[in-house]
Amino acid sequence: MQSFLTRLTSGKRLRKWRAFAPLAVLVVLCIIITIANPNFIEPRNLIRVANSAAVPLTLAMGMTFIILLGSIDLSVEGAMSVAAMVVVLLAANDSNAHNYGWLAVLAAIAASTMIGLLSGVLQTVLRIPSFMTTLGVWFIGLGLSVYMLGGSAVRLMDESIRGLALTRFLSLPLAVWVALAAFTLAIIIQYYTRFGRHVLALGGGEDIAEFSGVNPRRVRIYAFGLAGFFFGVAGVLAAAQLGQSNATIADGRLFAAVTAVVVGGTALTGGEGGVLNTLVGVLIVTILANGMILLGISPYIQQTVQGLMIIAAVALSLDRLNLKIVK
Amino acid sequence: MENITKIKSLFANSWVQGAIPTGLLVLLIVIVELASPGFLTGETLALLLSNTAVLFILATGVTFVILIGGIDLSIQAVASLASVILAQLLPSMGFAAFPVAILSGLGFGLLSGIVHVRLRVPSFVATLATGGVVAGIALWIANGRAITIEEAGRVNTIWINETVVGVPVVVLLAIAVGLISFLILRYTRFGRYSFAVGAGESAAYAAGINVDRTKVIAFAISGTLAAIAGVILASRLSSGSPSLANQLLLPAIAAVIVGGTAITGGLGGVGRTAVGALIISIVRIGMTFVGVNIFAENVIFGAVLIGAVAITIDRSKIAIIK
Repeated sequence: MQSFLTRLTSGKRLRKWRAFAPLAVLVVLCIIITIANPNFIEPRNLIRVANSAAVPLTLAMGMTFIILLGSIDLSVEGAMSVAAMVVVLLAANDSNAHNYGWLAVLAAIAASTMIGLLSGVLQTVLRIPSFMTTLGVWFIGLGLSVYMLGGSAVRLMDESIRGLALTRFLSLPLAVWVALAAFTLAIIIQYYTRFGRHVLALGGGEDIAEFSGVNPRRVRIYAFGLAGFFFGVAGVLAAAQLGQSNATIADGRLFAAVTAVVVGGTALTGGEGGVLNTLVGVLIVTILANGMILLGISPYIQQTVQGLMIIAAVALSLDRLNLKIVK
Repeated sequence: MENITKIKSLFANSWVQGAIPTGLLVLLIVIVELASPGFLTGETLALLLSNTAVLFILATGVTFVILIGGIDLSIQAVASLASVILAQLLPSMGFAAFPVAILSGLGFGLLSGIVHVRLRVPSFVATLATGGVVAGIALWIANGRAITIEEAGRVNTIWINETVVGVPVVVLLAIAVGLISFLILRYTRFGRYSFAVGAGESAAYAAGINVDRTKVIAFAISGTLAAIAGVILASRLSSGSPSLANQLLLPAIAAVIVGGTAITGGLGGVGRTAVGALIISIVRIGMTFVGVNIFAENVIFGAVLIGAVAITIDRSKIAIIK
């Protein structure tokens, strides 16, 4: 089995082919679902797909930079729920008298960015692996937001923030445009800034990058801060879409984000893949979920399918097979 | 500066690392005893131990995985699935539902292990993925709801809530699990191999140890113990639910690390996990006692986890910390 996999995925030509595999999967998926249920291709359904892809896309943008580093951020749900909590409690709501409008959005994104920076600083200063740090930070964030919300749901009454989900521009909800803006920002950061290059270099080989003059600690802290920023934007979008914030607003988001990044073809070892891959990954995950609903498959199975997709995607990326020690 | 290095080298000594948690536990007991004399006797002690039992069984499973240098993030999903299977099957199968539920844990533990070693996926991603698979299956079986164990099924679960000579059966089960795990780690070939793999994988490999098999067994044990914990939890609450154990992942991992088992593997054991689980339980009770909001508990556990990892981790083992 192992030799078969190696044979299947080795060689330059196949390597090139492999880069397009996620795109091929996406196209085939769309074709199959359309054949099974032509409703899929209707504009109304496609808008629905775009709408449900908005939050995962924004989240996955942040996660991409972390995975490119070869690290992982498990604090997605914590950071996101803190952002949702802050925006709901500071904007007009049914729990207190605050009404800071769009300042609440800024505060929410700032709070989430701080949480990301905290993860980055903690792991570089204490020198502990990112998955342990962010596991702790995940529950710190979650505990904080549940505590502040008092364990109940608080409704968001600010009409302009709610407009992110309800107002449409060119027949797409504003949330989709925000997600596209986040995507553009991520593209610019990855391909046109020094920081983006440094992230790729660190993921490709940390010791070599350090010898070449990259400051690994600083880049890592910035990357986690940047991820926190994207999680914050996603938290605000989720609060606007749901119209409230509660303890479970971020449930399952970590999973969807990791699936999207990995299925898109970004290697868990770091240094390979990127934001464009993740866009394809998010579309695969969202369209599959949408297709399963159209085909009448129990939505509860979605996580199962996503889990199997992570395993399959990681298994098919060849570079892992050369690794001696995997922990 | 010299003092700092001294303290550091003191912490690095494994003997001291093993003694700190025990000292902390004794200190906590003294504090609780002073704050509320007689708290740790009779019924309240039995309640404390019963509440610790499930956490301890879960944590013991993870201990096996952490000892080999991995991590299992799927235990809460496996435990929840076991609770759902038990609740679903009790009416039709009676007592036989117990082994079926526990075997499901064994199966998914094996799956995690095989995915991890065969496909060379890092354990935290492999178990994150299998955890998702399991959570989806649990939701599907339970149709997204909590299943109450009705009167007919409760005949078979009542024994778990009873006491033998004043000691709750749950506590006895936990002690049995702890003892067996202790013996496995100390006196079987697999146990010794586990420590060797955790201490240095390439050295263990060179010494002719079947590293892959050792790892798969560790994950299988973790899954099985998670399922046992889920079954006990379901019996105690008379209900199974796809999110029953979701709140237990962090305390379980925290119990292992706080007890003094290093996240880098090769150092630690079940005894330390027992101490860690008791610390977590007493801290939890202490927090409600002092008046810390129950919702804020996770904040403290998260911080404790990070702190404990920072103290116990063996940095010489990881060249590049990612």
